[in-house]
Amino acid sequence: MAQTSHVQSVSFGHGNANSGNTINSFNTFNISDEDEQIMRWLSPLEPNKRHQAVRTDRFSGVGDWILETREFREWRGSEGGADKAILFCSGNPGVGKTYLR
Amino acid sequence: MIDNLCDRAAEESIVVAGLYCDFLFQQEQTTINIMGAILKLLVGRGGIPNYLREAFQKSKTEFGGRGPLLGDLMEMLRIAIASLPRVFICLDALDECLPKYLLELLESLRDIVRESPRTRIFLTGRPHVGGDIQRYFSRVVMIPISPNPDDIRNYVEMRLDRDTEPEAMSNDLRVDIVRVILEKISDM
Repeated sequence: MAQTSHVQSVSFGHGNANSGNTINSFNTFNISDEDEQIMRWLSPLEPNKRHQAVRTDRFSGVGDWILETREFREWRGSEGGADKAILFCSGNPGVGKTYLR
Repeated sequence: MIDNLCDRAAEESIVVAGLYCDFLFQQEQTTINIMGAILKLLVGRGGIPNYLREAFQKSKTEFGGRGPLLGDLMEMLRIAIASLPRVFICLDALDECLPKYLLELLESLRDIVRESPRTRIFLTGRPHVGGDIQRYFSRVVMIPISPNPDDIRNYVEMRLDRDTEPEAMSNDLRVDIVRVILEKISDM
């Protein structure tokens, strides 16, 4: 039934306790509650788990400078339509992109 | 970034969906799974809407229970975004998506913005994905991120303050540690 679409994700998630976006064990999806089934059907990724790990590790104040930039403010503001839709923060590994607040 | 937006979500009527890509799980970070996860985040707090429940029930009866198709997800995302106040989507580490999914993902994000121009998308990644982003969003605004010396200094000072063996530290050593680390990051 609906579970067939999740079998593949189990093989990835299993054994990776720190997998972040993914489900971690075979048991977690074997549940009867339909809402949970629908959420798993939508995607095996679980972004909230990874986000919790990042916010725990984050050091207060790091990256706040970006909030003051004109680019950020224009993107964030309510003026402008599709032209202003995308903001891309680029940088090499380890510079702190993930930990921008 | 996700928390910064969330902090203001209540007062400004915005909804935030944030997702981190991870090279360890490239195979399952398909466009479908990422768009599905965004939809999951958007509908998550308000209870599952009927169109989603119906799509799930229908899929159970078709082909012995298949996963959602990208087209289905895009249509559901369109409905979800239209029913919400302003939506912010944050995707971290785009370069950790497999290239075959990255372009499809960017195309899907472009379609979302075309349908709902007020949507805001925040992306991070190594500089080389900037070219791919520009193929779909010629007006993309780019901010180069480099380590901020004040951030690094504050962090190193905090770690030194929490040193479990402070008797092994001298003031000269402490000054040297901060100086050398700041020199090294200026090359990043």
